[in-house]
Amino acid sequence: MNPVSATWNFLYKTYHRLASPREFYTIAQYTTPVFGVLAFVLLLCGAYLGLFKAPADYQQGDSFRIIYVHVPAAWLSLMVYVTIATAAAIGLIWRMKMAFVVAICSAPLGATFTALALITGSIWGKPIWGTWWTWDARLTSELILLFLYFGVIATYYAFEERKTAEKAMAMLAVVGVVIVPIIHYSVEWWSSLHQGATVFAEGGPRMPADMLTPLILMIFGFMFFYGYALFIAAQNMVLNNERKSKWVRELVTVNINTTH
Amino acid sequence: MSPTQKKRFTVIGLVLIGMSIATFFALQAMQSSIEYFRTPTQVATDGVSPERIYRVAGLVRKGSVNRLADGVTQRFNITDCQNDISVQYTGILPDLFREGQAIVTVGKFDAEPTLIASQVLAKHDENYVPNEAADAVMLAQANKCDDADGPVKY
Repeated sequence: MNPVSATWNFLYKTYHRLASPREFYTIAQYTTPVFGVLAFVLLLCGAYLGLFKAPADYQQGDSFRIIYVHVPAAWLSLMVYVTIATAAAIGLIWRMKMAFVVAICSAPLGATFTALALITGSIWGKPIWGTWWTWDARLTSELILLFLYFGVIATYYAFEERKTAEKAMAMLAVVGVVIVPIIHYSVEWWSSLHQGATVFAEGGPRMPADMLTPLILMIFGFMFFYGYALFIAAQNMVLNNERKSKWVRELVTVNINTTH
Repeated sequence: MSPTQKKRFTVIGLVLIGMSIATFFALQAMQSSIEYFRTPTQVATDGVSPERIYRVAGLVRKGSVNRLADGVTQRFNITDCQNDISVQYTGILPDLFREGQAIVTVGKFDAEPTLIASQVLAKHDENYVPNEAADAVMLAQANKCDDADGPVKY
């Protein structure tokens, strides 16, 4: 078998294994620490390079360094929402248990990234723009995204019966995905106080490499942190959802026996 | 995909398409209120009404900044390199305020018409530049209008 189809087969099998809560739990035992270590190393390197090695900006001075938290948080706020919407659609169409778990476990994380983007943006805006907050298209649409996350979480926990809760939450998550392109293009479609894209600007990034490298490291660090936190949250939810099944009972019994 | 799954797939697709169309029309209807600011050319074309609060953005015109005798009031022009608007503002200007910088001013027009600003915000662009290159960039910014042959974007 050639390497391409071998890789494809491996991914295909892993994907199907991940659909079973029990298999997911086992796989996550191994992937969680890997994601955790990668996140830690990337964030440490990114923060060091960003705070100490990158040159100060010509007009914003050192205060531009908040970009190393603000931009990764803002990107993740969109990426996590797309993940939720995709997982929710998969859950709705194929009735896959794990897809719903991924969607609902991602929501608090996405909400945190969104809040972090809004807070760091506000702290940045005060010295540079001269205001903590203004109702321009980018800021307003990002705030709507935060409330959308709250809505997804609230919908899930509003229902007593889990299957109903999962479907209602997933439907809201899928419909809400229209906000993502609006946030992304808000600075192009309308005039705004927020500036346009720097990294994906036309004609290449609008910052030198020694400023850009830490930013890229931080973005990947945030992504792995999201994966790490998601695995932990999803493992917990799987244990709770499947608590009546034999494998969870056995797992819990074994752990109790070994720790006492 | 089984027939049920195909059906669910189609339903979700249709819901998304419907949602996108609805959002598109809603945003179209709100277009003018979503716009954060007007440009000097837009203001010049539409004329000014004295009662409205305007939010106008432009570059600070080179050589137009004047401090009045009271020491805290500044007068300057903002421009998109085609039309100018004169602005008067009492208070502390943002740190980034300088010739060629894009700024957003908020206020009402007096009879002259000068925009009596109650707020001046700096609108910095997407470029990040190390300190060493600062002088060249600032000079280029201040002279931006010299070789512009139409309204510039900011």
